[in-house]
Amino acid sequence: MSTATESFSRDAAPEDRLAPSEREERAMREFAWHFGAFTATNLEACIHCGMCAEACHFYIATEDPKYTPILKAEPFKQAYRRESGAFAPFFKLLGLKKKVTVDELEEWQELLFDSCTQCGRCSLICPMGIEVAEMIEVGRRGMAAAGLAPRELMDRARRQAETGAPEKPARPYAEVLAEIGREFDIEIPLDRDKAGIMVCAPRTDLERNPAAVAAMAKILNRLGADYTFRSEALIAENYGYYAGSRALQKKITRRVVDQAVEIGAAMVIVPECGHAYTALRWQAAEIIGEKLPFRVRHITEYLAEQLAAGKLRLDSVDGESFAFHDPCQLVRKGGITDAPRELMKAMGVDLREMENKKGFSFCCGGGGGVNDLERARPLRYRAQEIKLREVDETGATRFMTSCSDCRVAFDDAAEHFNWDKKPESLVELVAANIKD
Amino acid sequence: MNSPTCKSRATVGNPRPTIGQILDENGVGRRRFLKYCAGITALMAMPPGMTAAFAQQLRAARRPSIIYMPFQECTGCLESLTRSFAPSLESLIFETVSLDYNHTLQAAAGHAAEAAREQAMQDAWGEYILICDGSIPTADGGIYGASAGESFIEQLRHAADGAAAIVAVGVCASYGGVGAARPNPTGAVGVSEIITDKPIINVPGCPPLPEVMTGTLVSFLASGVPELDKHLRPKTFFGNTIHDRCYRRRFYDKGLFAESFDDEGARNGWCLYKLGCRGPTTYNACATIKWNGGTSWPVEAGHGCLGCSEPDFWDHGGFYEPVTSKLFRDDGQIAGAAAAGAAVGATAAVVARARKKKLAAEADKEA
Amino acid sequence: MTILEFSRGTMLHFALAVFVFGVLWRLVTTFLLGWRKRLSEARATPGKAAVEGAIAVGNRSWPHPEFIGRTGFGEAVGYGYHIGLFIIVLMGTPHVVFWKNLFGINAPWWPTISSGWISVISVVTIFLMLIATLRRISHPVLRRISNFDDYFTLVILYAVMVTGVMAVFGIGGRYETVLAAHVISFNALLIWFPFSKLMHAFYILPTRFFIGYTHAKKGAAT
Repeated sequence: MSTATESFSRDAAPEDRLAPSEREERAMREFAWHFGAFTATNLEACIHCGMCAEACHFYIATEDPKYTPILKAEPFKQAYRRESGAFAPFFKLLGLKKKVTVDELEEWQELLFDSCTQCGRCSLICPMGIEVAEMIEVGRRGMAAAGLAPRELMDRARRQAETGAPEKPARPYAEVLAEIGREFDIEIPLDRDKAGIMVCAPRTDLERNPAAVAAMAKILNRLGADYTFRSEALIAENYGYYAGSRALQKKITRRVVDQAVEIGAAMVIVPECGHAYTALRWQAAEIIGEKLPFRVRHITEYLAEQLAAGKLRLDSVDGESFAFHDPCQLVRKGGITDAPRELMKAMGVDLREMENKKGFSFCCGGGGGVNDLERARPLRYRAQEIKLREVDETGATRFMTSCSDCRVAFDDAAEHFNWDKKPESLVELVAANIKD
Repeated sequence: MNSPTCKSRATVGNPRPTIGQILDENGVGRRRFLKYCAGITALMAMPPGMTAAFAQQLRAARRPSIIYMPFQECTGCLESLTRSFAPSLESLIFETVSLDYNHTLQAAAGHAAEAAREQAMQDAWGEYILICDGSIPTADGGIYGASAGESFIEQLRHAADGAAAIVAVGVCASYGGVGAARPNPTGAVGVSEIITDKPIINVPGCPPLPEVMTGTLVSFLASGVPELDKHLRPKTFFGNTIHDRCYRRRFYDKGLFAESFDDEGARNGWCLYKLGCRGPTTYNACATIKWNGGTSWPVEAGHGCLGCSEPDFWDHGGFYEPVTSKLFRDDGQIAGAAAAGAAVGATAAVVARARKKKLAAEADKEA
Repeated sequence: MTILEFSRGTMLHFALAVFVFGVLWRLVTTFLLGWRKRLSEARATPGKAAVEGAIAVGNRSWPHPEFIGRTGFGEAVGYGYHIGLFIIVLMGTPHVVFWKNLFGINAPWWPTISSGWISVISVVTIFLMLIATLRRISHPVLRRISNFDDYFTLVILYAVMVTGVMAVFGIGGRYETVLAAHVISFNALLIWFPFSKLMHAFYILPTRFFIGYTHAKKGAAT
């Protein structure tokens, strides 16, 4: 099973025509967009203590110092010192800080994309309190502006911005959704003109795990939610975020926002997809420059709210032991820590917590678009070993998470390592145990 | 520049008697003399075995001629020097020298005194010991200090010409002292600033301990110019700081300090460091020899050391400010630096923001 | 003018002016670079987030238990010598009287520690600094990310520490000379400060606060 679902042709992309100097200028301009007091304090504060390496699964797995998180932010830091810092004029005039060159950026491509899942664990270890992950993210933005983001991510982002789908599906996703409804005998509202809630679906689930989509619809139907999917904004993922392209991320975000506004939705429910949550919940308003006219809730968050309100009632799973993986984008970067645990508790799940859990959980290994980078696969497996060991050490018989991208990563690792566990969907478990 | 040789002792055929002969004439017994020498050598931290040799050298030394020249001075040093507790052997030893000129002590005055000085200098030209007391004004051609129609600086140069060695007594003669304290209107300096071709021994202090003055002189008579530190002070007396030898040191080590002159700590005799004691940076023998025949000394009396044996001690900050305190007066420079820093920082930020705005707009356009 | 006079006088005055000038330059620029308003619906009110930020300023000094196994040694060494430095600088008698005199404050309550203890702490601190230096030189990550700033700052810090200990133990020459060397190296530290990583002494406050604040707004772990 390949996680890189489509091998990308080497067709000319718009950025291929860029001259090296133009790439450098573009990266610099994109870095400049992120200059400001917040990034400045973060970049100024680093004392080179190296602690962040100890948070990063790529460093822990390989002990290769180049995977030190703050080192990944170096191009951004360099641009900041030369162009924006307090002594920038001197750094520039005296040549103490060199321009970020194309060679450097190319060298950093692997560090910024292949060996960073944007999991954000480094931000929690930093004794100075530096938001390391965010600095690395800016690095990606510069790379994308310079046309140096991996084609696997950039092409998907471009296609998603244009068509709504990151890849050309065998048939339109709206049809796929309709067929899921038929297959699972569930009514799935699509393209209703007005609805209180707009729901998206993960592309990976549509293609690989339709049961999860069906489960979500089943629960929403049972709760009597006033919701709809929209074929124009069906896909939850935001490849612009992965690729680091602010422009494409904005376009893809716009698509979702416009659809929600069009139907007058007061809420958009993000399915089991971590980075889609970050992109819509925490970055959408920032990137389009205005407050969203609706609330954004992750499906588990929404279900926990319904549970607390007494609307969602669940059967017990009779104490089956589960390990639960906290998806980085939902928990560490998203703040949804309690919702999945409340749902599991309501179902009587015997939750066996991992050594590193909640905000400190290790990444699945495939976040940040790494799942889609074929060449990153060997490195990813090494990082994933850490996680699989922690899951095994819980002694739980079953394993569950609430992010389809994480499940893709685990599926692939399971196959590679002949692992005896299969990552399950929390929402599916809820759907299976919902009281009539 | 100050070669440790002394011509006066080397001169053969000098008709002057030796110190031994003078002591014998005065009926000072060998036993008493040796006891004195033992005291002196102990004071100078020489090994006990050296006492006999020292005594022999001292007895053999010829009675020296001494010219004592006062400049910008207060007579405090001379007062200290003459505060001998008669009939101390020290004073006797001192009396054995031929004090050929000291216009404060001598009976002669006016032209007679100056003539006596000229005569004494001629008689022992190249051999006498010149003791100087007080700083020498150099500003405006040295006109701020003169006697007998001659400026101090001319008198010093002349007297130094014929001297075998010079002993600068007191902090003024050594380093300029109070006369040289800022703003030093007379351009006062110590002897060693003017005379560079003679051996010079500085015996600073305000005043110096009498035992240190006579001890230095005696040791010079016995064995020439002693080992000196970088400020030309005999290491035997100025080798340790007051702080190192202070009986209150143990309180410093324990962290027990007087915070004011009438608090519990002061009454308990705790360390005076916080009250500005200069003990840590002052080299002198007060803590061991003490004053007035070993009666007491400033720190024992409850006041911190002023550091009077150190160059420029007047200008090392207030006497009640500790030795680690700042030595500058801020006339708004730091506030100015702060304002300038904030202004430059703000300007840099404005420039950086303008540039960022332009670049970000371009980035948005590309996007 | 003796070297000690120069170090405590003109040079100290100059060093303080450079320090104040440089620190304000750097901080003012940083904080005036502009703040982007966060538009996402927050989980915590600004007030609550600010409280979390303030807590994070203190809490970050202690690593999260999840990380202690991997960073405990490095943190112990790092914080160890920082604590040593703080004790020496804030509670050593000569330093206390220096600060009091410098800021012109009368503070009889300001505690001091006996020079014996300060000596012990100084030796331990230098030892911890040596370990930190060895780590910087030998640990692959630290070696990879260290630059001139890191090493030069250490050199100056060693100069200050070693001359200070020499002054206390009365070794390496006459007290006033060693003391002057100590004050001069401190002046060098003041002058180097605004242009170096030493600025982390100031930046640590906003970064720790922001991470607590922004994470609290998301409801995430701080």
